[in-house]
Amino acid sequence: MAELMSPSEFRVALEQAFSGTMAKDASFSRAWATGKLHKQHFVHWATNHYHYIGPFGDYLGLMYANTPDHARDAKDFLLQNMYEEELSDDRHTDLLIRFAEACGGTRAFVQDRNNAMPFTKGLQGWMYYVSGRENFVVSSAALIVGLESQVPSIYRTQYPTLINKYGFSEWEAEFFDLHITSDEIHGERGYQIVLKYADTPELQQRCLHFVREAADMRFAYTKALYETYVEPDLGAWVEEDEREPALVG
Amino acid sequence: MPRIYFKTADQYVEFAEGEEVNVLRMAIREDIDVPWQCASGNCGTDRLVVEEGAENLDPPRRRERARLGELLDAGYRLACQTYTRGDAAFSWDPDQVGLDDEDGRGSESRTGWAGTG
Repeated sequence: MAELMSPSEFRVALEQAFSGTMAKDASFSRAWATGKLHKQHFVHWATNHYHYIGPFGDYLGLMYANTPDHARDAKDFLLQNMYEEELSDDRHTDLLIRFAEACGGTRAFVQDRNNAMPFTKGLQGWMYYVSGRENFVVSSAALIVGLESQVPSIYRTQYPTLINKYGFSEWEAEFFDLHITSDEIHGERGYQIVLKYADTPELQQRCLHFVREAADMRFAYTKALYETYVEPDLGAWVEEDEREPALVG
Repeated sequence: MPRIYFKTADQYVEFAEGEEVNVLRMAIREDIDVPWQCASGNCGTDRLVVEEGAENLDPPRRRERARLGELLDAGYRLACQTYTRGDAAFSWDPDQVGLDDEDGRGSESRTGWAGTG
């Protein structure tokens, strides 16, 4: 039987729960960061990402409804997060479509659900399930700590490559710039909610379980992007230091 | 181990060697009262004076350059937009509001939000 962890112990356990399966290490992310992708790959990425995070306001709304009144700070955080996704600045999905258009895609293509992978639809369904059916602390752990808090680590590697290697302007790549910083703060506030309200051993363990599951979902989704769209063009992913040395002469 | 000195609050925060950390995230994590609002480089509520360690900070990107303008040359950075990989020290006006709210019409900043206490 697990015992109740202190906030500092629980934080370390949460961080370790997804450290082995971070999406930044998946094949599609690695190909992106090392400059291997073509613009049509980015159109497919943006399309699938749209159907994964496009309903983020819906997920947060379900979590808001599941959060009790006594957890007012958690409710306020969810409401603020919804506002920031949709209204406080450029709508985040519009920034995503701006990037897709810079890659030669269209708004209509990105928004057409038929252009998303089955895996993406499954990930979206998992997000609706967790946000609608789980305790608000558990869904915060899954969606905010397990998924949203990973974003800066992914985009901080990918953004410089977009500018310096692929030649996008800062305006075209603003979706990434915005999320590098805003999700640092969302992620940190998510940690605070989970550390504060996961106040039984059972809740802490269920949070850890769903953080692992969230990380697995995002890793598998990112890997599927490579296998579906990139592998037919570039072959199976191999890290640079694992490739056969080129023959000379 | 590198550390950030939040001079106005007289508090230090350490982080692991080799890491790059977001300045506002570290302040929020440790319940340090840096004023902030939007966390996306829009409002400018979290502008800090860089007292030391400017060489350890990442260069400002488009949003921060657009928001701060000449304040960048005067030594300011936005906490939400700034990462550091080494020692740095910052100060701020505890009562400051967003750059568009300097006439006093701005909403309250969100220091001390949702602590784990």
